This record gives sequence, C-alpha cells and structure tokens, in this order.
Amino acid sequence: MKEKKDKIEDKFRLIKGKTPTTSQKNILIILLAFFMIILFHFLPTPEGLTYHGKIMIGILFMGAILWIAEPIPLAITGLLIMIIQPILGIMPAKDVFSAFGNQAVFFLIGAFILASAIEKHGLHRRIALRLLTFFESSPKLFTFGVMASCAFLSFIMPEHGVAALFLPIVVSILIVMKITPRKSNFGKISMLSIAYGCSIGSLGTLVGGARNPLTVGVLADNGITVTFFDWMKYSMPIVLIALPLVWLVLQISFPIEIKNISTAKREIDKQVSSAGKMGKYEIVVTSILVLTIILWFFFSSPEYFGLAVIAILGSILLFITGSITWRDVEERVPWGIILLYGGAITLGFGMQTTDAGIWIARSLFAALSNNPILIILGLIIITVVLTNVMSNVGAVAILLPIGIAIATDIPELGVSRLLASMIIALSGGLAFMFVIATPGNAIAYSSGYFSTKDLFKSGIISNIICIVIIFVVAIVYWRGVLGL
Amino acid sequence: MNNVIKKTKEKQKHSLFEHILIPISSEFYQKEIFEISTVLAEKFHSTITLLYIIEEKTLDQTDKLSDVYRTTFEKEVTKKEIIQRYISSADNIIFKDAKQLFTRKNILFNETIIQGEFSEVIKGQVAKNDYDLIIMGFEKECVLNYRLFDDIDIPIWIESGHNKESLLAVCSNLAPNQKVPEISIHLSQILGLPLHMLYVVDIEDTVEVDSIGHRSERKSLQDLTKRARSFASSMQERGVQVTIVNGILEKETEKAAKQYEARLVIVGREQKKRGIFGLKSLKRKMAEKCEYSILFVN
Repeated sequence: MKEKKDKIEDKFRLIKGKTPTTSQKNILIILLAFFMIILFHFLPTPEGLTYHGKIMIGILFMGAILWIAEPIPLAITGLLIMIIQPILGIMPAKDVFSAFGNQAVFFLIGAFILASAIEKHGLHRRIALRLLTFFESSPKLFTFGVMASCAFLSFIMPEHGVAALFLPIVVSILIVMKITPRKSNFGKISMLSIAYGCSIGSLGTLVGGARNPLTVGVLADNGITVTFFDWMKYSMPIVLIALPLVWLVLQISFPIEIKNISTAKREIDKQVSSAGKMGKYEIVVTSILVLTIILWFFFSSPEYFGLAVIAILGSILLFITGSITWRDVEERVPWGIILLYGGAITLGFGMQTTDAGIWIARSLFAALSNNPILIILGLIIITVVLTNVMSNVGAVAILLPIGIAIATDIPELGVSRLLASMIIALSGGLAFMFVIATPGNAIAYSSGYFSTKDLFKSGIISNIICIVIIFVVAIVYWRGVLGL
Repeated sequence: MNNVIKKTKEKQKHSLFEHILIPISSEFYQKEIFEISTVLAEKFHSTITLLYIIEEKTLDQTDKLSDVYRTTFEKEVTKKEIIQRYISSADNIIFKDAKQLFTRKNILFNETIIQGEFSEVIKGQVAKNDYDLIIMGFEKECVLNYRLFDDIDIPIWIESGHNKESLLAVCSNLAPNQKVPEISIHLSQILGLPLHMLYVVDIEDTVEVDSIGHRSERKSLQDLTKRARSFASSMQERGVQVTIVNGILEKETEKAAKQYEARLVIVGREQKKRGIFGLKSLKRKMAEKCEYSILFVN
C-alpha cells in the first residue's frame, strides 16, 4: 500500500513540473474572441446604439467566448476586459480601475480570509461531521443530510471549498460501506447531493458564491443597498424550497438500493471521535465567525459599517488572536477571483455608460411584448442556460447589466433593478447539468460514483424545478410580498 | 508420442491469451469484466494483471475548473485527497471483487495502480509487458479517451456484461480478414458458442485492404462482391457459413449482432476512412453503439 502511494506521489510531483503550453485550439479561440471586436468595429451601427456601445457589445462577446472556452484563466479574461476599455477609448483608465474601490471587493477578501481560518483549523470538517450525525438513521436521510450539510456550510464559506471538504468524507463512508462506484444509486445520490447541496446553499448568503457580492457591488453602483440580512431575506425561501425538492428529484431518479446504514453510522462516529475536542484556535475562530455574522446581520447597512468593514474587522481579529498567519492567507485566498470580479464589474459599468445594455435589452426582449411575467421567466431561463456552460460569475457578469438595463429602460414593466438582479444572481448559481458547469460538480464527479449522464439526467429536472421555484418566489414573494 | 503431440497442440490451442491485462479507469468501473476474465483465464490458463488507472484527465479537469476559485495549495490538497480515495477505493472495492473471483478459480493475478491518461498508460504497459489480450469496460459519457482502440496492436475485448448465446465474426472489404476467422473459430470451439460469420461489402468506402492493412484504389462493387464470394467459399471449406451483405459496415454489424443475439462481436483491423467531419474512429463508433461485447482483433 505504501509503495503504491509513493509511486503515485512521485508521479504527482512529476506532473506538477509540466510546462503549460497554449494549444492550437486555444489560440484559435483567443483569435476568435478578438475578432469579435474587429467585427463589431466594421458592422454598421444600428439605430439607438452609439459606436462605443457597439464596441462594448463586441467586448461582451469577447468576454463571453473567453469565459466559456477558457483558453486563458478566467481572472486574466477579467483583467483583459478591464484594460481593453481604455485601450479602445470606451472608458478612461481612471474610471475602470476605480471600480476596484467597490466595497464588495473588500467584502470578498475578508470573507475568504475568514474561510481560510475555518479551513486551516478543520472547523469546517468538525461542523460537517457533527451535522452528519443527525442524519444517520436511514440511507435516504443520510443523503438528505449530506445535501443539507453542504448547503449549510456554503452559508459560511465558499461552495467549492465545501465540495472539496465533503468529497473525502463521503467517499470514505462509501468505501467502508463497500458501495461500488457507478453501480450504486446510493453512491450516486450521495455524491450528487454534495454537488447540488453546495450550489443551492451558495445562494443563501453573500459568502457562498462570488456572484452574490458581485451583484451587491453592481447594485451599490446603481444606488441600491443590499445588506447581509436583506440578501438572506430574499434568497432563503429559494434555498429552503429547492433543497428538499432537488433531493426528491434525486430519490426518484435513482431509487436507493440499500436499507442498512449502520456501517456509515460507525464510520461517521469514528471520524467524529477521532476529531477529538475542540482546540483553542477552533474556539477562537468560531467566536470570531459568530461575531462577524452577528455584525453582518445587524450592522451591515450603510448607516452603520457596511459589509466590507465587518469582513475585514473579522479578518484582522483572526490575525490579532494568532489564529491565522499571512502564509495561510497566501495559501488559501484565491486572489484570482478578485481580478475576475474586477473584469465583471467594469464590464457592467461599460455596458451601462455606453447604453449597450439598454440596446441589448430592447432587442432581446422586444419579442416578449413588454410582459413582465415573460421577462422574468426569460431572464431566469437565459441565466440558467448560460451558467451551465460557463463560469457562474461570468454568466452573472454578462447578464446583470442587461437585466438592470431592462428595469431602467422600461420602468412601466414593474420589474425593478433589484428584482432583475436578484433573479440573475440566484439563477446564476443553478449549474446542475454539466461537469464543466461549476467546480463543485467537477469535484463530486471526480469521485467516480456517478456518470456525466447521471448528472445531466438529474440536473435537467432539478434545473427545471428550480426555474419554477425562482419564478414563483419572484412573482409571489419578491414582487408581491416584499414589493421589490 | 501421439500423446505428446496432442498435448502440445492442446497447449497451443489454449494459450491464445496467455497474459491478460484488465485496465480499470478511476472514472468508471464495470464489474462484469471480472466474470468474463475468469472464464477466459480458466479456458486459456492465463495470468491476469489488474491495472487501476487514476485518470489524470478527471483530475486536471477539476483543477482547471477550480482555477480562479481555489488556490494552488487548496487544489493540491484536494487532488491528493482524491488520489488517496481512489487508491482506497481500488484496494477495498475493485481489487477485492477481483480477488474473490480469481482466487476461487486459482487464477494467477497481480494488481497495479498508476496515475496517468488512460490510453497512454495502457500503451506504456503493453509496450513493456507481454500481454496478448486487453479486457475492459466502456462508457460513452467519459472524460477519458479511447485512443488505444486504434493505437494498440493486441486484441481488445470490450465487455458489455450481456449474456447471449452466439459469436459473430465480422469480415469486410476494409480489413485483411486474416486474424478474425482464426480467432473466431478458435473462440467458438473453446467457449462452445455457435459462430456466425458476416462479410460486409461497405458501400461507403469501396476499397480493398490487403494483408498488411494497405488500402487500394476505389473498386467497383462487383469486384468487391467477387472478393467476398471467394472469401466465403474459402471459409466454407473450413466448415463456416458466411453471410455476404452490401451496406455500411457499422450498421450491418449492429443489425447482425441483434439478429444473431451475439454474445461477442469479433471485428478485425478495419481501415475505414473517416468522413470529412468524422471525429471518431470506426471502432469508437462501434463501441458506443454496443449492446453486445466486442473483440477488436487489432
């Protein structure tokens, strides 16, 4: 066994040394992306659109191609979108880079530092195992427990980290239970529950997915404030309805073949007891986390501190108490997402200032005859489709300016900017169908317990159900009850 | 003396597959491959190597998708965790399944775990070792590729797990038709399954392939049918009835496999030209449509 591991480790080290090269296919994609701008430069400017607006749509297409095909890292596409606007004279460099001054960026940094402290001290693992102990009585309940626990943890840390945490926990349980990969429906549901639980949970708070703070940032630029509590007030009904329904879809799609779960129970209990008592730093991190969440709940509105100040305060407390070092931050904070965010927010800004967003909104939704119900449904469907084929932050970044433009341009529709943004932000998290749709899916898929066909089969039904849920919540709760 | 000759002949007859390689990808696991491997290993007195391949493409895909969302450190930790789970899964589930079957039948076997790209790892192992048969499962919706179908020159058995009662050997104008008749007659005798032989004159690709696999100029259907008839009569002399059909190779094969309820379809070194947009090889297409097992006699 040890020999085998060493062999793998050696190979692993060799792989790390590989030099990445740009393939011919990637070069073609990059050329195609740039060609979009040239194409839009030569196309006649349609009525109602300025030259700058036309070029901005070219940039939007360029960004979409690069974010879908990923010939270069997503973050680098973000940087490209930022610098290409001053180069082409769409927006002055000063305005482009000032978008980074948005407090949502600092909220993201703070949230990632908090998450890294949770990960460093294994607090997330302890919470995950503790949660699973409540769901040990039957196989069906166990799979629900996996999904609910993933969702819960995605409220307090990024969804992809949660998927990476749950993968080894659940696989180790499946191995002890001798669950055969691909053959067992219990294995399939357990792993799919990780992927879907993380995606659904990431809608719940501003911490789960980077698209949430992005939306808050874009809304702030439009003079609309959304606090931590506001976000939860809007999103939680969707999470609470979607979670059991998607779980039900999995149960119907893959009827569980086992009845006894005592081996899993023993394994969970073993892992819980091997985790031992909470260490000093775990207690400190928990306290700081609880304090931060309380502050987010009650003091994140502009008249108090705002989201970012609280997130950074929490992070600084972690340093002061010695719970985290700069090395930990270097190891665990994905700075690339900040760059991606920068590209996304400047893309939206450019679309708004050149009125390109409004022009697209008019052209796209003219067919829907200014019917608010159809427009809401259209926005949800387009976002879900797009988020399944590209990075969800990218999908939200592309659609937010268009959604906001619809709301601004056609006020008589009764679709507010906040409503349109929430629809896009939350639909943007529903990447259920493909492995490539989100890292959470890819991480769960790597377990080998389900096929791409299984993911698509359950994903398409779950996506349809979630489209209906968001639609109903948008009409009844957001518009009807909250008056969004 | 006669006895010695008989024994040697018997040994030669049974040593068609002396060393069997069973590659299993971490991406999917098909338990049925062990059952057919046990049957063949018993009949041919073969030794078996179980090769568990930790699929690099899956790991790379996870890595690439996590690129902007997770740090290099986090991705490495996750990658190591995943690899450890794969090893654990191979040891505790897959190898155990195999052990149960093989030890019961006293079949010699060994097991290896290698990380890499599926086809490349197998090609490497085949080059280094003296294998004469690969038995593997197949799944269409996979990240891993099946380049090995066209790159490896030993027979590849793709097991579907369906229990049917006959063998179908497929010959055509697009193959040398040398190994397929030999192996299929041999397998039919050893496995005790009736043999059906089909000769397809491919109307899409009207060339002839010679004994070393070279394609000729395009020929008339008349010429190709003449060659088919001559092949059929030579097989008839050996007691095998050949059905000649004109059509598209892969479609006719599928049709015949259904008609004869084939347990195994034996296909040779078919050199069919890919269409202008043909991304998949003939073998890959056949494997995708397979509800029956296929033996590619490469």
